[in-house]
Amino acid sequence: MSIEVEVDESDLAEMVEQVWESYLDPEGVSPLIPTYDENQPSEVHSSVSITGTWTGHVVYASSRAAAQRAAAAFLAMDLDEVSEEDISDTLGELANIVGGNVKAMLPPGSQLSLPQVNLTPESSARFPNTQRIGGVYGVWEGEPVSISMWQSRIDNKEEGA
Amino acid sequence: MTPMRAMVIDDSRAMRMILKRIVTKLNFEAVEAGDGKEALDLLADMTEVPELALIDWNMPNMNGLEFVTKVRADPRLREMTLVMVTTESEQSQIVRALAAGAHEYVIKPFTEGAMIEKLALLGLVPTGANS
Repeated sequence: MSIEVEVDESDLAEMVEQVWESYLDPEGVSPLIPTYDENQPSEVHSSVSITGTWTGHVVYASSRAAAQRAAAAFLAMDLDEVSEEDISDTLGELANIVGGNVKAMLPPGSQLSLPQVNLTPESSARFPNTQRIGGVYGVWEGEPVSISMWQSRIDNKEEGA
Repeated sequence: MTPMRAMVIDDSRAMRMILKRIVTKLNFEAVEAGDGKEALDLLADMTEVPELALIDWNMPNMNGLEFVTKVRADPRLREMTLVMVTTESEQSQIVRALAAGAHEYVIKPFTEGAMIEKLALLGLVPTGANS
C-alpha cells in the first residue's frame, strides 16, 4: 500500500535551503539559484530509498565541480584538499539529510535506507519502475545541482488493483 | 584542567568530521565511532567515560536508540550526557529517544550555532560560547 506523497516542491525547497544554511553556505553568500530545469545535466549523484507508507527515492545530483565544492564546504577544507572519499561521504550525507526530512513529513511507519553514492550521472541511474514527482533544480556558483523525488510506480499499480 | 571528552557516533564520516570540528572548537577531546556497537566496544576499554556522546539514529550494526538504551542500563556509563543528532524528526521518534534516556535531540540539518546552544543548555559549554 502507498499513499499520495504529502511533500511538495516548496517543502523540498525549504529543506534544501536549510541544508545550504547549515552546511554549504553558512555565511549566506552563495545560495542555490533556481533554474526549474529538471533536465539539467549531472555528473554524480547520491540517493536514499524510502519504503513504507510511501515508496520511492530522494536523489541529490550535481556536476563533479559542485560535488567537490560541497565536500569542501561540508568538511571545512580547501577545494584542492578534497578527495574522492570526501565527495562520496558528503554526497551520501546530503541525500541522507534531505531523505530523512522527507520521511519525517510522511505518515509514521516508513523506513529510510542507508545512502547510496554513484559517481555517475543521475540520468544513468537505475531507479526501475519509478516516476520523478518533483524536485528542486538550480545552479550553485554556476554549477548544476538538483534534489529530486522519485515515486515507485509499483505502488501506483497496487493502488489501482 | 583535564579537558572534557565527547564521543561522536555516526556512520557518516562526513558528519563525524562536522561534529568533531564543533566539539573540538569547544575544547572537548573527540573520540569517533561508526556505529553503536563500535562505541560500546570503545567505552568498554576506557578508564574514564566521556562526558558527552553525540549519537546518530540510523546506523548499521547497532542504531542510536539501542546504544542509548544500553548506556542507560550500564551504571558505569550513567553520567554520560546523551544527545541524539539525527534526521529522525517525527514527534514519536523524539519521544522514544527521550524515554530511552537521551538528554537532548538535535535534528539534521543543524547549524553550528544551534548545536552549541543545545550543549550550553545542557551545561556542557559556557553560555555565549557561540558568540
